Parts: sequence; structure tokens; C-alpha cells
Amino acid sequence: MRITCPHCGARDAQEFSYLGAADLQRPEGMAASEAAMADYVYQRDNPAGVHRELWYHGAGCHAWLVVTRDTRNHAITAVEPAKARKAGAAA
Amino acid sequence: MSTQPFRLASGGLIDRGHPLDFSFDGASYRGYAGDTLASALLANGVRLVGRSFKYHRPRGILSAGPEEPNALVELRSGARREPNTRATVVELFGGLEAASQNRWPSLAFDLLSINGLISPALVAGFYYKTFMWPASFWEKLYEPLIRRAAGLGRAAGAEDPDHYEKAFAFCDLLVIGGGPAGLSAALAAGRSGARVILCDEDFRLGGRLLAEQREIDGKPASEWLAATLAELTSLPEVRIMPRTTVFGLYDHGIYGAVERVADHLPQPPAHQPRQRGWRIHARRAILAAGALERPIVFAGNDRPGVMLAGAVRSYVNRHGVLPGRETVLFTAGDDGWTTARDIAAAGGKVAAIVDSRPADPVRKALADKLGARLFAGGAVTGARGGRQLSGVTIRDASGAVSELSCDLLAVSNGWNPTLHLTSHQNGKPAWDESLQCFVPGTVPAGLTVAGSAAGRFTLAQALEDGARLGRDAATEVGLTTLPAEPTPTTDPETNGLSPVWRVSGGKGKAFVDYQNDVTDKDVELAAREGFRPVEHLKRYITLGMATDQGKTSNLSGLAIMAEQTGRTIPQTGTTTFRPPYTPVAIGALAGHHRGKDFRPIRLAPTHDWSKEQGAIFVESGPWLRAQYYPRSGETDWLTTVNREVKAVRAGVGLCDVSTLGKIDIQGADAAEFLERVYINGWKALPVGKARYGLMLREDGFVMDDGTTSRLGETHFLMTTTTANAGKVMQHLEFCHQVLWPELDVRMVSVSEQWAQVAIAGPKARETLRGVVDREHDLSNEAFPYLAARAVTVGGGIPARLFRISFSGELAYELAVPADYGDATVRALMQAGAPFGITPYGTEALGVMRIEKGHVAGNELNGQTTARDLGLGKMMSSKKDFVGRLMAGRQALVEPDRPAFVGFKPVDPSQRLRAGAHFIDIGKPGVMENDEGYMTSVAYSPHLDHWMGLGLIKGGAARVGERVRAYDPVRNGDVVVEICSPVFVDPEGARLHG
Amino acid sequence: MAETARSWAPRSAWAGIAQAGQIGAAGAAGVTATLLDGFGLATLIAAPGGAAALSQTVEARLGIALPTTPKIVPGASHDAIWSGPDQWLLRASTREGSGSLLESLSAQAAVSDQSDARAALRLSGPDVRDVLAKGVMLDLHPAAFAVGDAALTSIAHIGVHLWRLADGPDGSAFEIMVARSMVGSFWSWFAASAAEFGCQISIDRSTGRG
Repeated sequence: MRITCPHCGARDAQEFSYLGAADLQRPEGMAASEAAMADYVYQRDNPAGVHRELWYHGAGCHAWLVVTRDTRNHAITAVEPAKARKAGAAA
Repeated sequence: MSTQPFRLASGGLIDRGHPLDFSFDGASYRGYAGDTLASALLANGVRLVGRSFKYHRPRGILSAGPEEPNALVELRSGARREPNTRATVVELFGGLEAASQNRWPSLAFDLLSINGLISPALVAGFYYKTFMWPASFWEKLYEPLIRRAAGLGRAAGAEDPDHYEKAFAFCDLLVIGGGPAGLSAALAAGRSGARVILCDEDFRLGGRLLAEQREIDGKPASEWLAATLAELTSLPEVRIMPRTTVFGLYDHGIYGAVERVADHLPQPPAHQPRQRGWRIHARRAILAAGALERPIVFAGNDRPGVMLAGAVRSYVNRHGVLPGRETVLFTAGDDGWTTARDIAAAGGKVAAIVDSRPADPVRKALADKLGARLFAGGAVTGARGGRQLSGVTIRDASGAVSELSCDLLAVSNGWNPTLHLTSHQNGKPAWDESLQCFVPGTVPAGLTVAGSAAGRFTLAQALEDGARLGRDAATEVGLTTLPAEPTPTTDPETNGLSPVWRVSGGKGKAFVDYQNDVTDKDVELAAREGFRPVEHLKRYITLGMATDQGKTSNLSGLAIMAEQTGRTIPQTGTTTFRPPYTPVAIGALAGHHRGKDFRPIRLAPTHDWSKEQGAIFVESGPWLRAQYYPRSGETDWLTTVNREVKAVRAGVGLCDVSTLGKIDIQGADAAEFLERVYINGWKALPVGKARYGLMLREDGFVMDDGTTSRLGETHFLMTTTTANAGKVMQHLEFCHQVLWPELDVRMVSVSEQWAQVAIAGPKARETLRGVVDREHDLSNEAFPYLAARAVTVGGGIPARLFRISFSGELAYELAVPADYGDATVRALMQAGAPFGITPYGTEALGVMRIEKGHVAGNELNGQTTARDLGLGKMMSSKKDFVGRLMAGRQALVEPDRPAFVGFKPVDPSQRLRAGAHFIDIGKPGVMENDEGYMTSVAYSPHLDHWMGLGLIKGGAARVGERVRAYDPVRNGDVVVEICSPVFVDPEGARLHG
Repeated sequence: MAETARSWAPRSAWAGIAQAGQIGAAGAAGVTATLLDGFGLATLIAAPGGAAALSQTVEARLGIALPTTPKIVPGASHDAIWSGPDQWLLRASTREGSGSLLESLSAQAAVSDQSDARAALRLSGPDVRDVLAKGVMLDLHPAAFAVGDAALTSIAHIGVHLWRLADGPDGSAFEIMVARSMVGSFWSWFAASAAEFGCQISIDRSTGRG
């Protein structure tokens, strides 16, 4: 498998490590509930089809990436840096 | 030396000026350069080359290519012995040693051939049916019996002396197969400037052109071949790789290939690998792998001397070998007739032609011209002979039966496209009714199929496909192609076919799968017993599950099942294939990564110094660390470790800790970031101070620990455990980039920059004084416990000094730029000499941390919480941090959850073992009574007895109680007393000295 | 003090790993490896949104801009090598002398000294790409990886930073940096991979140390 890192270009999948679903929101702060945190930690969909997921380019630029991949055939349609999702806040 | 009685006087692509001597089963033979082992054996009249897997039937050579199911031999001897090589693809070399396999005591006289006589007991599914009961018989009787009887060749059993490589290649176009289609494709794309890789499994390019008498543009095809190869060779971006099998297609245009660099030599030349495993990244690929000829299922179809008709042509035309004196041809189509023609042209005798199709005047005339009897509408119902074919039984169109003598039966039943790679990515082949074969159906993106592999079997089609698809590929990768050249013309050919899947009514076994000894009766049995879906059929009777993966058998099996169940072949199922196309040596996949190179090893900057000191090293994650430093006269490790521990506690010792992970963390929000990843507070840590930190996973369990120092207002240096350095870095990057990208925090590993040495013991300060430059005050007041500051050593070399302790002694860690690690330990040894400074390794380090009750990897095992480890009070209640909520889950705060304490043997002479489970005294040692387990043990030279750390229900509340430390695996059952985990200096007086 | 300093001899990352001479096949070497020593190296990470300003400062001081894609920008005294988003390695031709520069850059960037953290070598020769193909999972054809292109990747499971230099008289040329602790394993891979072509090894101490 090849993943095109937005920073480094197309690389073999062995340069990356996989984490899982990309769009979970960590319940932040002291007010967060244990139930919401348990969902965040444990509840996952297992879609047959398009999946947005986190990969870490550990053997390259160390970027966490959001990879949009079809779990049925490994077709990858988008790769973006995870950090860019909250880019406004970082600037 | 034999005289090669079956070698033709002339012709063939062999070098008669270059004879090669070789041996088979100890007898010497001679062949020529350009031979395969199979062609050389046939030239010498060797017909019997092996025994079959289950029935130990005599077997000969069926094919001339990678599909060979019978002629599997062992090559070479000693550590290089390699089993199950196909004689049909082994390139002959001088000195080659080959041996038949699966026979005992000899090939000609095989005792286990009795299996053929008791075969009713060995019907399909016999493993499942027979070896069921009683269970105790399996290990003692059945398995040894099966292992003796079955199995193919013998592995060398010694380490492979050769080396293997991996390599990576990139191209615009990968062409798989170097026959007319592949060569045309490579040329068309190569002329456009495309980066082309052309792989062919053979040692000579040309594919079927090498085996046929064909014309291109009115001239012998060899001229076209030579011209094409010459032009390809002249193109700088075209790489031709003979002896290279593309064995698999993987995601995103990645192809696996194995290059047999030195398999055709007695042993690899100096500095050359035996084989090279390639991963080829191709933007486009063209599969031009040709086709594999199909046998016919009839009684005795496995006799040595029954051969595929196309293979006979290969031996005659390419190798100058006539594999028989008296040939009968059994054909279901026009292609077989070419074999009869070529045999006759080479001076051979074709006694009879059995064509399954009705009588036809043109064929009759041709048979007459060849001097062969024609049995139109006939069939071969049986083949006779033991170790060699002696004759066949022929049933003619009227049903009359004749017996004919012959020593070669050429069988022609059409060809199956070599479409294997098209199905590696879940592609399904499609049945072509007019061609009576499977052709590529759904084909992976980026791949196209040319020539015979696409079911376009004529030479003209191959040339046309190759040129067109090669140009298409070049265009698709954005290149400008030259105007198309006219497709070369070829001599006419016809390929009428009416396949015969099985001839019934013969006497004896009719084989579908030669290599796994599957017969037509087995398929019928599977049909009767309901194993009708093709995936069930395959597994029940092991059809197509041998090393050849059913290249010559899958379709016959499917066709017989279709016939049995009254369905068509496509209704019955499809044959799909998984990688690898042909067997691949594990060595070619491992490449460089074996033995000490299995994975990278990390060495500390002080490694060579430790080696000088005679250190014994131990693997610690990827690192090799000094475990202990034996001195002469010390015969066991415990003596050495006890000495090292005592020396530290009485004077001073040093130990390399460069292996700890070190992460430089800077930025305006660095302190805030640490607050979120650690359970304890960081904002109040003064600059110049270190603090112990503990981090959790989000599920509430401990991830890692270490000390982190504040080097500046917005600058921290985190240390991690040796084992978790990479994991923690990844976790911190996750926290920053995914959870909180709004924070200004900037991290980089500086693990490699710093050599770090622990200096511990009452004389640590005095030792350091001789190394740290004078202007730095090291007094207890100026440099107290947990101070962390930049200093200089050796006259201005920048360094960092941390007053932290794992041993409980007055201790420091001194970090210097890695280039100075070696000089620093030498300087420390010199400075500490008056105090008896002693290098110590990870064992002594472990003893001292256990004496102090510090947790380490054995306790941070992914199953423990901060609370379990007695560190619950570190958890801040004023801030959120990773793992906070989940650590508070009810199950993780239950009062009787095993918690961290120390243990000492009631009888001080008794040894403790890590892994022992705690059981209340008087209760049996069973799971229900499990109270917890021992995580770490060591012998304390300070206490003069063993001590342990562990987790037990109730924890510290039970101090003073006695329990059993029960270790049934090692027959351990020791009564221990629960105690404080701090065995030495509980007041911490030494630390602050 | 001067005497003390002499006894504190630095030990290069290459010490005990490789020596000058030829390894592998005899005759004309297909690859030349020059082991580099004595350079200075520091990581720069720009503050959020501060990459452009940092680049301007670097350009004003050193005459080189910080590349925003994986490239190396060579300069007279220093090279700037992309090493991640908003992150660079600044390589100085000598170990000493960059202190005040780095000090001033630390106002705009997180600066971390890495001078001792990497072993580096320069490879050139007619067969250099064939050697690298045995470990590098990247297309190093000049059309895909041009002079000045850099990549963070791995060789034989060892993280490397590599870039292409201008072709030399003997063919393509690359430089590779590898983590110091893994240089032994790296060399084991390299020596095995280069052996069939023959490899001439030299040590470049011209950048400061003897």
C-alpha cells in the first residue's frame, strides 16, 4: 500500500502506523463525563467502505494524517494533516 | 558419461560447444549450456524423476515450465540443499547435483508405493475421516506416520550460507513476460521514453517463440526476436530482468518479484546474493505472461512419458531433445498437430494421432503426410507402463479399442491464460465459452493484459496487443508516443479446439491434480458428499493446494464437478489465485534482515568502552545495554552483580543511561502541554529543577514514567523509559497535532544527541568534582536533590547535570554531547578511582531500584494504574489530563484491586521468582484463590536475602501478613511476608546527602 | 585546562564502525563513500505562524531561505534541510561557531543542538542508485528526485534523512544522515549492499577535527 503524505509525497505504508477513526472528539476539560469519555475511548464503527482514519508518518515527517480510505479495496481518496483541521486556532 | 541418446543431432538454442556435467541420484550425465535440468535429463533418457506425494507413483516430466507438478527435485547438497525445485525451470550448470525425492529406499524401488495398492484407505478426506479417534493416537501414532509417508523434499536443516537482498524499483511500465506480447509492449513504451521494466522468469527472453517454428514478417521469428532485444537493450530507460518472476500484485500498483541472481551457478560469486526480492512500484503494468497448457484426465495419465504437447515442442525446438522414440499424440485441438509436425520435422516418429474431434479430410491428409495413424473422434483411455510409458489404449469413434506401443504420449487440450496476477486483488476471471477457458474478468486498475494471457492465443494477436497496450501505457503516464508501426505479419495458424476434460472407462487411476494425487474419483466423491462449492471441493480433496497451486489441475477439477452436478463450468465456480504465482524462498523476502540484522540494533556512545571493560550485553528494546561487568575470578552473574551493588552503596559507581528517551519540548504552552499529558503538576516547577512524571493512556492505565526538567521558562527536557521512547514520542505528537493543535508546543527527539551517565553512591559528588569544571558549585546547597542545570565538563564542553536517583543513593545523571560520551566515562573512571568507582550494568540498576521500591517496566506493564502502583496521590484533581476520567472508573478504584507492595521470604534462604502468584496460606493453588502476582525480584546484597515487588489484593493494608508465592511452572512455593516496597534507607537519608 | 581538554578527545559516530579503504569487489569501485565528521547540526522549529519570519531572519544571516518542501538549500557556511512541517535542520560546515547564530534564532524558533546525533556520509559513483535501491523505498531517478530534493524515510528499518547533491564526475551523488546509535546496523546493510560493486571509503575530517 502507498500513502501520499501531504508533506513528503507517496510512501510505502510501512513508514506509517495506524491508529483508527479520525473524527472522534475528545471530551475536554473537568466537566467531561465518564460516559462520554468511555465512548471516545472504546466506541468505534467498523465500516465496509469509506473510512476517515488517523495514520502517523513515524518514519517520515512525524505528521499525524487523516487518510480517507475505502476499507473494501484500500483505495485512498484523500490525505490531509490532522493538525490542519484546527488550523485557525493554531495561527 | 552418457551419450545423450535422445539429443537431436542439430538444432535448438543450446550451446553444443559448452557441455555441462551434472548428476542425478548419484549418476553422472552431460547436458549443454541452454538446457534446463529437465531437458538434460530427457536428453539422457531419464524418464522417472520422482515419486508422487500420496501413492508414491512413479512420475516423469509433464511440462517444460513453471507449472510442473511432477518433476520436483532436490538441488545441491549440504547447507545449500533445496527441496521441491521444478526440474523444468532449473537452469543447468556444471556440477549441478540433483536428487529425486519422496522415495525410499530408492527411486526405482519404493516401499511406500504400496500406498497405491491400499489406496481405498487413502481416499479424499481420509485425514479427516481416519485420524479422528482416539485423540491420544494423534501425537504418538498418526502424526509421525503421516509425516513419514507424506511431505515432499527435505529442507537443508542447516543455516543457509548464501545471502539474500531486497530491492525497490520504480517504473512507468512493468511488463510481465518476455514473449512476443511483452517484448512488443516494452518496445512500444520504451520508444516513447517510458521507464520500462521487463521481467521474465526464464533465463532467455522470447517466451513461446523459443519453443516454436514461427515466422514474423516472412523471416524466422528468431530474427525478429534478436532485433527487438537489441533495440530494447539500447534504450537507457528500459531494464530487462531475466530470471525474475513477478509473483504477486499488491495494493496501489506494487508488484512483488524475485530475481534468481545466482541460482544458475553452483554458488553465488563473491559479494553476489543468491536471490533478490524486488518490490516494484509501477504506474502501469502489462501482464503478458502467456498461457499454460492443460492435460487430459484419463487412466494412467501420470505415467512417465505422458507429456504436454507444447512441452514436447519446447524440448524438440528449444533444447534439441526428442523426448521419445515412438510418439502418440492425443489432442483436442489444432495446436497438438503442430507438435506432430515438429516431431516429424526433427526426424521423430509419430505413430498415431488421436484427435477427439470428428473426422476431417484436411487432418486426414496431414496425418497421412506425417505417416501417422489417425483416430478421429477417438480418445486415449489408458496409459500403460511402470517406471516408463510402454503403450496406450485407444478407443476410436466406433468404440473399438486398440493397443499401441509408444514411449511418448503428447497431450494437447488447449491452454489456460496465465491470468493469475489479475485475480490477486480480488479480480474474478470470466469464462469464455468460445475459447473454453477462463480469461481475465475484472482487472486491477493500472493493469492490462496482452496476448495469450488475455486469451488472444495467436502470435499475431500477441504482437498486436503488446504494441497497442505498450503505447497506451506510455500515453497514460503522460508521454508522447511515436506513430504506431504496422503490426508485423505472421505465418498462418489455426486454433480450433473442443476440449476433453475427462476420458471415462479406462482402468486405473486418472489424475486431476498430479502433485497432490487427486483423482477424478476424488472429485466425484466430493460431489456425492456435498462438497460442491469450489472452495469446499478444493479443501476437502486438496485439489490445487500443492506447491503448484493447481496450475494444471484446477480447471479439470472444476469441469468434472460441473459434469457431476449437471452445471456449466461458470455455474460451478471460478478459479482464482493468490500470491505467490510460484513458490518464493523466505530468504528472498527477508533479504538482509536475518541473524544479527533481523532488526536494527542501537548502541550507546559508551558501548565500545563497556566492551573494553568486558561487559556482558543484554537486549533492552532495540538497544544493547551492558548487563554486568564480570571481573576475572567471578564465575556467576550474581557474584558480579552483588559486587557492583555493594560498590555503589559503599562508594560510587557509574552506569550508562543514554538509552533513555529524551524529548526537547519548547514553546509558550510547553508547561500547559505537560499538565495535560502527565498526571501531576508542572506549571509550578522552577527553572533548573527536575520532577518525576507519570503519564497514562487515555484508558487510564499507566503508559510511561520518567523525569522531566525545566531548562527554561518555556523549555523542558522530558525523559522516557528506554523501551517506550518511540511510543511516547508518537503519543505526544498525537496529543499535540490531533488533540490540541492550538497549543504552541514544539518537540523533537534529542535522544541521539546526548550521552548520559548515572553516577551514584556516597562518593558521587567527589567523583563528579573531578570532571565538572570548577566554576560550577556542586555542594548540596548549590546543587540540591532534583537540581537540573547546564554545566561544563573537561574545560568548556557543554553538559547538563541532573541530580536524580534511581538507586536511592546520592546520585547524578550527567549528559554530554554524544561525541564526548566515551571521554566522559573515562574521565569519570579516573576521577572516581580513589573511591573505587565501579561500572555497573542493568542488573545492578535493577537490584537497586527494587531495593528502593521504584517501579519499572515489569510494573508499568499496561495493566496497572497509578493507584495500583501506590502513585495515586500524584494524580492532580485540579486539572484535566490524558487518562483522568478512565482511571477513575469503578473497576479501577475497587479497594481490593491488587496494589503495589514488597515481599520478603520468611525463610531468608529461599529464592523468589517473578511471575509467582500469591495464594493465601492453606488454600489450594488454583485460579479462584489468586490474590495477585510478583512483578520483580532480586537478591539484595544489602539485606542478604531475596526480595520482591508485586501486586496483591489489599496492598499496603496487608503489610505483615504472610502468603504463598506460588509458582507451579518452576515448582516454586515460598511463604513470603508482605512488606513495604522500600527495602533500603526508607527515610531517604542517602539521597539527600 | 589545556591538558585536560586534550584528554577529552571527541569520538566520532563513525569510530569503530568503518575505516578508509575498499570493501567488497576489487577493482574500480562502483561506489565511493565519504564518511563526514565535524559538522554542526541543529533543529529549528518555527513558532506557530512564524515560519516565514524565521526564514527571513535566516536568509538575512546566512543568505539561504528555509525550504517549505522537502529540499536542502545549500549555503556558504550553512545548509538548510527541511525536516518536517515548519521544521528544519541547519547544518554548519564546522562544529563550532554557530553559537551566537543559534542563540539569536532561538527568539523565533525552538532550537535544539543535534551536532552529535547523526552520522552522515556522502555517496557517489556509477552504481550508487543501485546500492540505494536495496534499501530506499523511494524513486531516486533524477526525474523523480532531483538535485536538492530531500527525504525523511527509512533504510532497512533505520530512519534516514537523505538528499541528492549535484552529480559528480563519477555519477549521481547523495548524502545520508542516520541516527548515531544505529550507524552500526546501517553500515552492516550498506556494506552488504555495496559489496557487489566495490566501495571505496574515505573519511572527510576537513570540516574541523583531526
